[in-house]
Amino acid sequence: MTFVWDFSAVLQNYQVLLKGVAMTAFLWAIAFPASMLIGFVIALGTGSRNKLLSAPGRVYVEVFRNTPVMIQLIWFFYAFPILTGHQLTPLVAALAGLILNASAYCSEIFRGGMKSVPTGQWEGARALGMSHSQALRRIIVPQVFSRMLPAFTNRGIELAKNTSIASVIAVQELMYQGRALSSAFYRPLEILTAVAVIYFVVIYPGSYAASRLEKRFALRA
Amino acid sequence: MHYEWDFGAVWEYRQMLLSGVIGTMKIAAVAILVGVVIGALLATMRLSGKRWLSWPALWFTEFYRNTPPLVHFFWAFYALPLVLGVSLDPYAAAVIALSTQSGAFYAEVFRGGVISIERGQWEGARALGMQGPAVLRRVILPQAAQRMLPPFMERSFELIKTTSLASTLAYSDLLYQAMQVNSITFRPLEVYTVIAGIFFITLLVLSLLAHGVEFRLTRAMHTSAG
Repeated sequence: MTFVWDFSAVLQNYQVLLKGVAMTAFLWAIAFPASMLIGFVIALGTGSRNKLLSAPGRVYVEVFRNTPVMIQLIWFFYAFPILTGHQLTPLVAALAGLILNASAYCSEIFRGGMKSVPTGQWEGARALGMSHSQALRRIIVPQVFSRMLPAFTNRGIELAKNTSIASVIAVQELMYQGRALSSAFYRPLEILTAVAVIYFVVIYPGSYAASRLEKRFALRA
Repeated sequence: MHYEWDFGAVWEYRQMLLSGVIGTMKIAAVAILVGVVIGALLATMRLSGKRWLSWPALWFTEFYRNTPPLVHFFWAFYALPLVLGVSLDPYAAAVIALSTQSGAFYAEVFRGGVISIERGQWEGARALGMQGPAVLRRVILPQAAQRMLPPFMERSFELIKTTSLASTLAYSDLLYQAMQVNSITFRPLEVYTVIAGIFFITLLVLSLLAHGVEFRLTRAMHTSAG
């Protein structure tokens, strides 16, 4: 069989794909900072010695890390509204699923980072008369920040890839637009290949940066 | 709002969910096996030291690692048949998508494990008169395998979670079957909570087992090293 490539469907509809990219970027730009913030709060719980704080945090982390993101998004869109009596829009359901999932992973990065600081640093800060929160802010966080950077970059990449799952609940991001175009023009090979290449072009620089950062910190350590 | 939970409806269709569990296990198992083969092949190509082998392997790996799994599924199902000239059923497309993407990640795990072994080990083995493949098989891989195990397990758990994307191709995995049960019973809350629970318990048990194996391996290595 000889297949004749024809990218005209892609080129004529580049604006549709571009709108998809914008939505993908929007999902990521909201979900990533929110996940870091929530992840940090959860890490304060899971990292604490108080069982009442750490136990619920652990349950949260394990639940979201041990179930598929796809099921989490579907759950928020189809199941959660029944519990609350409130129908969520696809966008809100997608953001809720993505944020809760990514925040569980982010909290583990924070916890790992904070645990990696030798206890001497804590003791030193205490000896200087700092309170727990002062020590955290002035001594611990600045040191672990650079160590956590590659892990966060990787998490950002995973999140960017996960945004494509939002297409399943009809959020009109890149994957959704690509599928809509390919069924409208019967050109799945060209259109889906173009979608894959667009994702690669958007995501690869982040991934490259992460590997560079990892090498740099590995050399320093 | 008060909601009356009713798992009876889900229980009534347990056979459908069970066949979904089997569908999920089937593609997960096949994709892990095929993925390991692809991963080993890619890792060998990248470690070969020959540019014409390592470059294609590098870009194949990078491409799969930096594009969403869902794209691979749609591509394998709708686009790949046009390239091959044969149509693929959802099962075949799902296995192709899962095993190529996990192969790309496994390749990095294998390569990372091999290059983490100090050069002295290679030199020592050569000094004892061993040839290339024998060094790899008898000296490097036994040591590297232990380091590969944790990331390998982690990647395989990711793969198990990713199988749920196969439902978008109408492959009857657990999620797809749950959607069918939901369309009969109109009980999305119970149905989706149950399948999330099934994934949660399975993965939690598997990761506890994996930790147990890792722990015993590390201890065995330490005791044998004296």
